[in-house]
Amino acid sequence: MLKWAWKSLFSQKGSLIGSAAGIACAFILVIFFDAVWRGETEQIIAYPNNVKPDVWVMQSGVGNMHMAMSFVWDWKADKIASMPEVKNVTPILYLNNVIRAGDTEMFAFIVGLLPDAKRAGPWAMSAGRQIQNPREAIIPDVLSHITGVKIGDTLSITDKEFNVVGLSKGTFSSANSVLFVPFSDLEDILSSSGTYSYLLVDAHDNVEPKVLASKIMEEVEKINALPHDDFIANDFALARQMGVEVIVMMTVICSVLAALIVGFSAYSLVMRKRREIAIIKALGASNISIFYSVMIQTGIVTLLGFLLAVLFALLVVPGIPSLVPQLTILVSNEALMQLGIIALLVTILGAILPTYLVLRMDPATAFHV
Amino acid sequence: MFRLAWRQLQYDKIKALLTALAIGSVIAVILVLEGFEQGQYYQLKQIVLKRNADLIATQSGVTNFIAVRSSIPQLSRMDIEDVPGVKEAHPITAVPIIYNKDNIRTPVYVLVYDTKGGPSRIILGKGIKDARDIVIDHSLAKKYNIKLGDNFSVTDFTFKVSGFTDEAAFMMPFAFINYDGMLDLFIESQIAPDLSTFPLLSYMLVELDAQADRDKIAKDIEAKVSTVDVVTPEQLSNNDVSMGKVFYKPIMGLLVTIGYVIGLLVVGLIMYADIRSRIKNFAVLKALGFPFKKLFFAVLSQSLILLLIAIPIGIFIALSLSVYIETNSPVYLIRLFEPIVFIHTLLACLVFSFLGSLIPLHIIRGSDPVMAFQGA
Repeated sequence: MLKWAWKSLFSQKGSLIGSAAGIACAFILVIFFDAVWRGETEQIIAYPNNVKPDVWVMQSGVGNMHMAMSFVWDWKADKIASMPEVKNVTPILYLNNVIRAGDTEMFAFIVGLLPDAKRAGPWAMSAGRQIQNPREAIIPDVLSHITGVKIGDTLSITDKEFNVVGLSKGTFSSANSVLFVPFSDLEDILSSSGTYSYLLVDAHDNVEPKVLASKIMEEVEKINALPHDDFIANDFALARQMGVEVIVMMTVICSVLAALIVGFSAYSLVMRKRREIAIIKALGASNISIFYSVMIQTGIVTLLGFLLAVLFALLVVPGIPSLVPQLTILVSNEALMQLGIIALLVTILGAILPTYLVLRMDPATAFHV
Repeated sequence: MFRLAWRQLQYDKIKALLTALAIGSVIAVILVLEGFEQGQYYQLKQIVLKRNADLIATQSGVTNFIAVRSSIPQLSRMDIEDVPGVKEAHPITAVPIIYNKDNIRTPVYVLVYDTKGGPSRIILGKGIKDARDIVIDHSLAKKYNIKLGDNFSVTDFTFKVSGFTDEAAFMMPFAFINYDGMLDLFIESQIAPDLSTFPLLSYMLVELDAQADRDKIAKDIEAKVSTVDVVTPEQLSNNDVSMGKVFYKPIMGLLVTIGYVIGLLVVGLIMYADIRSRIKNFAVLKALGFPFKKLFFAVLSQSLILLLIAIPIGIFIALSLSVYIETNSPVYLIRLFEPIVFIHTLLACLVFSFLGSLIPLHIIRGSDPVMAFQGA
């Protein structure tokens, strides 16, 4: 039966390739949804992940950065800096706001940097220099590419104009581009004084961040202190949940689409070979062995589709951001493994109808003219 | 030829149904994606329009309502109300927070209002009577299993949930409190050295006298209060939609385009597989003297009939999916039937169906009439 399944499947290579390509298309759509969502999610945490202090200190009740608002009194930073375990405290101001660059208005995360706070600034530059004077800004290189705003041009945040002096790398995402401006200018926009948004606390060697975070929480009131890993986990969890329902539903419907294509091709095959199957039944083949042969056929078609989709994901998808620079796309092994499980389910689902037809098939069909 | 195509589909109903289901699924994917995007724009627009203002004053230079910090001087209320034609000015403030319960965090946009601009519709419970009251979007209630009267803690300050509304935008649920509530929150939380850190007055909802000239009064207010810009709610909501498009278009555009390409390939591949399996029938028709043009129309008719069957199936699947998504996550709104987009999607499906039916044409062209007489 195995040989028959194999031979009959490959007897019509065009249909086999067509079906496999159809399944691959459905899987590619699933991969895309996941890759775009995962890429954006990863990019949302790019800033905190790259500045990477040992401990993050913020307003009480706040536990992350994405879309958050936090204010910490300045004296609290001084108190933390005086702790023996603390090597360095770098305060930043932070604001979620709409910016205008060229003709484009977009949502951005703006980080206000003190003059000596390079540690909290851009981690990689593609052009230009660091901020040295008031009303200067560093913007993501992708933002510059999209909006046409280059070094020497201006952009506006509320009613304040900023000169672009540098382009940073790895700081753009559709959800939150990260811009850097002088601390005093952001203070002016926020009408605040004597406050910071977040404190980036670096500990001395051999100091456990978790222990230091607990100590800061004990000694300084009305703040929250989190080790870097916990802070990132919170941000990541928050970013992940946005749009997840839509992604899940799209994955379900694309999987159903793949199952339908598998079902279609297996059904077509069974209908084409119904006489052969009837003869095999008439010769005494058991239902279970025929069922296995159908399963093998749907399995092979799905596997081919899956492999085509994986190849596409690994070879083509990473090149998409060069065409659409706004997008951050991330194909993960986890997503491909999930797709593998989906493919298995698709095989089973796709085999249900043809198997049912085969089992009901009358061996006498073999002798019909 | 249309009849031939129709009979061909009737000949194997299961196959025709499987095909229509597959094409319907592709249509559903595209409809849901388009509907999701349109829903986002609709929500962005409605958030501003539902504040029911004739004009809106913003901080000078601020052109958006959502996700932006706007801060205008508190005395501007009086100045605006002094302008002839202005009936009343209602302050409103936006405070973005991250709600955290059981370590599950959700960004929530809190709108603080005084005399107008509160929740547009209370779907359960009552409005705000007290500084401790908060009205939240029902998606938030569903997500955290919050009931009326439950506590709602923000930065060590506890509100009491007095009602549910259905206002969300930018994938964020909204909540509403009054000014007393906001001041209590800021003062009791002691989160900043002085209250001026927070935007106590973000926008002014301007209510005009009946018959007042909106454009003239907008200019008069701007002339009198230099710290504000005055726009119509429509302008402000359009700016928010434009900002939303910058955010969503690249992602959604790419996904929808891929959806169309895949739809085209699925139709093409299905038609290809179908025509390959009937190659002998086409050879017979060719032997009987049917020209290629007629056979092409038969294939085209078949794919169009399949599309006509698939469209209601696709709409049904998309509708079911959108109901499921909206029921489970009410923060999303899927607007499937936005007229222009819906018609555009169906026309695009027609195009991909047409293009898909071109894929197997070379098989028909290459089929030899002699095949009709080969084999049993």
